[in-house]
Amino acid sequence: MKPTIRNKLIWGYAGLLLLMSAVASVGTRALFSLKRDAHEAITIGGRLNSIAIEIQVHNLEAQRRVKGYLADVGKIGPRKAREMYLEEADFEIHEMESLSAKAVAISPTPEKRAKFSKLAESLTAYKLALDETIHAAEAGAADPVRAAAEARYDLAADTLHENAEDGEVAGRDASQSSEENIERTSSRAVSAAVGISLLGLLLGIGASIVLLRAILRPVDHLKEVAENVSMGNLQIEVKRFSDDEIGDLSDSFARMLTAVRYFRMEAEMVQQEAQPGEGGAV
Amino acid sequence: MTLYEQTIAVSKAYLGPATESFIDRQCKTRLKIEPAGLGLAQLADLAKYVELYGATIMDPEKAKLLAAKIGGLR
Repeated sequence: MKPTIRNKLIWGYAGLLLLMSAVASVGTRALFSLKRDAHEAITIGGRLNSIAIEIQVHNLEAQRRVKGYLADVGKIGPRKAREMYLEEADFEIHEMESLSAKAVAISPTPEKRAKFSKLAESLTAYKLALDETIHAAEAGAADPVRAAAEARYDLAADTLHENAEDGEVAGRDASQSSEENIERTSSRAVSAAVGISLLGLLLGIGASIVLLRAILRPVDHLKEVAENVSMGNLQIEVKRFSDDEIGDLSDSFARMLTAVRYFRMEAEMVQQEAQPGEGGAV
Repeated sequence: MTLYEQTIAVSKAYLGPATESFIDRQCKTRLKIEPAGLGLAQLADLAKYVELYGATIMDPEKAKLLAAKIGGLR
């Protein structure tokens, strides 16, 4: 393709448009990434934290019910005690199971998933210890057997409590790390947008300078040549700077100047030939 | 197309409106022939004069280029 001024302008500004599109797409991508991280921070981190707190609440309530059951089972009988305390405790345990499964599913990292898996495991151990304790209480087991079962239940309840606390911390961490992600992504987005904008600006300035030089330099030269010729200086050289429309104009100007030089020399020669003893040069 | 007409045609791009006058002058004063009678035998000499005297009114490189073109006419 011939590097004409029209082509230079078209390709120059097409390049600038492409660059601006790239800047816009990077900026848009960064914004969407920021939005996604913010969404994660709100949903995942906050959700994990609240799940862990909910498990704590259900755990305390379940333990309160179980303690009530153990205290009253001897007085009101197993059936009544089950109705009064254990049905509610079962509901709390079921809620804890459902919440811990949800927490495992939405945990963003393997570490956090492991913490909530541990919580689910301790919940299973808690249920087993509770069954054992209920069985001992209702079967009228000896005091040491019953005391041992209750001790195992207490230990399982404590373990569950500790693991729920760990889950709460993990949820808080997830929330915090999501906030850090937002911070990191936003600062990265700002740096990228500023950097690419500056690069675009520099390239735009560079492209404009190149375009202006490509057009103005030969035009300035032709202007200088025309001024010299108009002042009678025919010895000035016409340079061809580029292979475009102005280059063609330079060629025409050079041809015209050659003809003017020749006609002037021819006129001088005719004058000299009119005077005897002098010859022509061209 | 005669050799003279071909010479004028290739020289136009270099000499513009002075072409006919310049070539005629070389034929008449240097080669001592009528321009219309320009033949292959005089072409090398014409090219030599075009390079030599053309350099006085245009860029010597261009004059050399024009001379080469004229010398290559058949």
